Amino acid sequence: MAEPAIFFEEVNERQGVFHRRAFLLGGFAGAGLLALGGRLAHLQLIETQRYEKLSASNQFNFKLAPPPRGLIVDRNGVVLASNRPNFRLMVARDKNVDVPDTLKVLSSFVPLDDKRQSRLVKEIAAAPKRSPVEVAEDMSWEQFSAINLRTPEMPGVSAEMGEVRVYPQGGAFAHVVGYVAKVNKDDITEDGPNSEPIMLNPGFRIGKQGVEKAFDLQLRGKPGARKVEVDANGREVRADPDGDIPATPGAEIKLTLDADIQMRAVEVFGDESGAAVVMDCRSGDILCMYSGPSFDANRFVRGLTGAEYRQLALYERKPLFNKALTATYPPGSTFKTMVAMAALEAGYDPKTVHVCSKSWAWGGRVWHCDEAHGAQDLHTAIATSCDIYFYQCALFVGPDRIANMARRFGLGQTFDIGIPGQKKGLVPDTAYKKRAFKNDPVWHPGETPSMGIGQGYTHQNPLQLCVMVSRLANGEKSLHPRLVESIGGVEQPRGSGFGDLPVNPDHIHFVREAMKAVTTIGTAAAVADLGLGDIKMAGKTGTAQGFNYNGGHGVHGTNGEWRMRDHAWFVAYAPHDAPRYAMSVLVEHGGFGAGAAAPRAREIMRVALLKDPEIRARIEKPLPMPKIAEDAQLGGGVPDAPTALPGAPADTAPTTPQPSAADDASGAPP
Amino acid sequence: MTVSALTRPGERDRLIVKFGEIDWIFCLALTLIAVAGTVMQFSIAGSSWTPWAAPHLIRYVAFFGIMVVLSLINLRVWFAIAYPLYAVGCVLLVLVDVVGHHALGAQRWLQVGPITIQPSEIMKIGLVLSLARFYHGMPGNRAQLSWWLLIPGALIMIPVALVMKQPDLGTALLIMMTGGAIMVLAGLSWRLILIGAVGAVAVVPPAIMFGLHDYQRKRILTFLDPEGDPSGSGYHILQSKIALGSGGLLGKGYGLGSQSQLNFLPEKQTDFIFATLAEEFGFVGCISVLALYAVVIFMALRTAYLSHSHFGRLAAAGVTVTFALYVLINGSMVMGLAPVVGVPMPLLSYGGTVMLTVMVGFGLVNAVRVHRYSEITSGKGTLL
Repeated sequence: MAEPAIFFEEVNERQGVFHRRAFLLGGFAGAGLLALGGRLAHLQLIETQRYEKLSASNQFNFKLAPPPRGLIVDRNGVVLASNRPNFRLMVARDKNVDVPDTLKVLSSFVPLDDKRQSRLVKEIAAAPKRSPVEVAEDMSWEQFSAINLRTPEMPGVSAEMGEVRVYPQGGAFAHVVGYVAKVNKDDITEDGPNSEPIMLNPGFRIGKQGVEKAFDLQLRGKPGARKVEVDANGREVRADPDGDIPATPGAEIKLTLDADIQMRAVEVFGDESGAAVVMDCRSGDILCMYSGPSFDANRFVRGLTGAEYRQLALYERKPLFNKALTATYPPGSTFKTMVAMAALEAGYDPKTVHVCSKSWAWGGRVWHCDEAHGAQDLHTAIATSCDIYFYQCALFVGPDRIANMARRFGLGQTFDIGIPGQKKGLVPDTAYKKRAFKNDPVWHPGETPSMGIGQGYTHQNPLQLCVMVSRLANGEKSLHPRLVESIGGVEQPRGSGFGDLPVNPDHIHFVREAMKAVTTIGTAAAVADLGLGDIKMAGKTGTAQGFNYNGGHGVHGTNGEWRMRDHAWFVAYAPHDAPRYAMSVLVEHGGFGAGAAAPRAREIMRVALLKDPEIRARIEKPLPMPKIAEDAQLGGGVPDAPTALPGAPADTAPTTPQPSAADDASGAPP
Repeated sequence: MTVSALTRPGERDRLIVKFGEIDWIFCLALTLIAVAGTVMQFSIAGSSWTPWAAPHLIRYVAFFGIMVVLSLINLRVWFAIAYPLYAVGCVLLVLVDVVGHHALGAQRWLQVGPITIQPSEIMKIGLVLSLARFYHGMPGNRAQLSWWLLIPGALIMIPVALVMKQPDLGTALLIMMTGGAIMVLAGLSWRLILIGAVGAVAVVPPAIMFGLHDYQRKRILTFLDPEGDPSGSGYHILQSKIALGSGGLLGKGYGLGSQSQLNFLPEKQTDFIFATLAEEFGFVGCISVLALYAVVIFMALRTAYLSHSHFGRLAAAGVTVTFALYVLINGSMVMGLAPVVGVPMPLLSYGGTVMLTVMVGFGLVNAVRVHRYSEITSGKGTLL
């Protein structure tokens, strides 16, 4: 527009135009090339660092390596959960990967039936591209190496060596230790430790129950990474071991449990349903926590089939349930210790005599007892477990004072032992009635006798009863149970640091004497004999009517349908003169406490006692020898000969194993 | 001008003299580019002559021979075959639509025995020659009259439409732009240039939305927002920019370009060969090769400038424009300045077809140089 029109008359004029415009064109081309040069300078000189980073992140991938999971061991270092090598076969979706074809080829190396193949095809199709899905695990070394050799010709296939959790004790610790399992979609969170990419690793497992779940993060450790050079399709070109980031293994968790005691509990329970908890009543350490029947935690690591799971879940003895923590039962006569403590505190005269004639009419109905105990005072009523005495004793004290005492002994509360799923149970009182029964908020006098024998609303779990008896046995401290001794070498707070037990020591003494009478002249007189010389066990039996309690006789003893029978309890501590170990044993629908629970408690207790070197020394102390014998031995020039002074302290006495005691340790239950 | 033997009549028709008149410095620049291409093809194959480096070099040597032979052919012959070549090109373009070979969703090849013919390449030369011939026979003032524009317009749009139908957007645009450049050089009035430019700009958005195939539209939209989908369509552009940027000043070293060696670069041996060069030899290597391209473009343009015949001028300039467009489009594409259109970097990229076209074109350019004093009568051309 700006240029005036030019008319060409001559050929030379069009040449002129051409020259001018060619000049312009050359200018355009030059400008274009300069622009390219400028762009190059911008990319290669100014922004080069940014692109270098992008290039490096293209070239190198860090493949996450799951860390070795921390071990779980018992107090003596016996391994309860560890890891073993596992050869896994993985297939990932990618272009050039014909998944059904690949699986068909793989089925000649590892067993893969058609049904599993078609399920895997779906699974792989649903997984993100290039993220491998586990096709087989626990391959033999031969299978692993055969496939590993051929992986270059089979795109998408990889054979990996990983680790898998193993529980060498099988089901013995399944409820406490719990188990790990594959990561579910629900386990992955938006942020926090469960959002980390390692969660997507097919070899990764997270804790789903018990200690494995509660201390999952500590056990997990920090994933490492393998630096590998990859091509544009994400395939590994070569490894770069110098760039590897080593995985940090998870912390070792040491439990206060003792495998020997726990295994004895497993043995004595057999197929019975129930729970046993043993505590060190000086420190509060839980030495045994077994819930039976149990299950093999190793199966959960692999993943249960629906049928397997249904079998476990539908079995009426509920193996998946930790009965030591998550089930509550009426404590039955074991609760009479609390009633007695409350009565003594309320000024009840222990010499008060009530006569038991097997039935007692009060409040417009007839209350029953197992037998006619005759004239009883508080001491003998505990020993014989006379219900009729305690109906009246409870009426003297009243529910609130009983509940107050029971709470001081740890009933009706949960304890922080690290693992979840504890039930609080219930210690009823008038406030509870007011709170829970909107239509009938009044405590009726008729409800007190039931409470006096540990029935009615009263519900406790075996751990709580063990704490109760531990505090009775300890007598001074408000003991708390401790399950985890140390995490990664860091000692956890002890259970004895929770203050003093606010009760009168004289009352404790009275109840302990009565509990001693239980095992010597009372309900558990024959069955609770440890057979360890002067080491005696004190305890209290309990027979709790769990089914359709109506203040009288239900299905008593071991007659009738299993699920209709009473629950059998036994709480105990030993040695009765200087208590060290306290325990509670529950046999669900076991019949009588003295028949089903006490013998089992005895056997478990015996292992605990015989493992204790001081107790052992006390049991095995040599016969008092005449002084001459000692002189003769010294004269014999044996410097380290046993010094068997009569009356020498037990702990300095040498151990000359006595066959009878050793046999007792491994003796079978009756 | 000093008196020399070359002023003697007939002296310039002697073969040995013609041979000496070939622009050998220009040829050296071409050869250096082709050698750089061979070096890169060798590198990306993992230091191997196969599958790309050896064929690339062998082809170049062969096509160089063809170029030299074409340089010696009298400009009158070029003039005479202009329209027939154009006609053959058109027929083949129609044929390719009917019986052509399918590749990557487009019909671009004709298979005749062992030879693959890509008619759009024939058309690139055919159109340049035809337009040059058309304008050669036309007085300057007619070049700007609107009705006379119908003929060159048709000459351009017929092959453009046929190529577009294949569909090969890159080549169609290349042909259109080359034709347009020749019209401008021939003296198209500024007013029409302006109208054409405005019209082209106005036509682009609706053409993108309605006139293109899905994949073409996607490429262009991706170019406008490459980070939008870095692992999808924006992938090529992003990876190419990473290759360039990570090269830095001196490059990662020969054979050490991780982007190209590990296949992050798409079409690394053809369209994105320049990115490989940039990654391994850095800014210095890139600027050196761009300088060689600049030498080639400006020497070819100078040849056009020196020609005494209008046909020679326009033909040489047309070839130069085509070549320059290849370089600029490919360069912009590799550097993330233009959408991915599938235009190779001439002589650097692997591929015989484009190399043959370029070398035949430079044969024409050299022929223009050798015969720069030849008279070509307007109107009908005479053979020899």
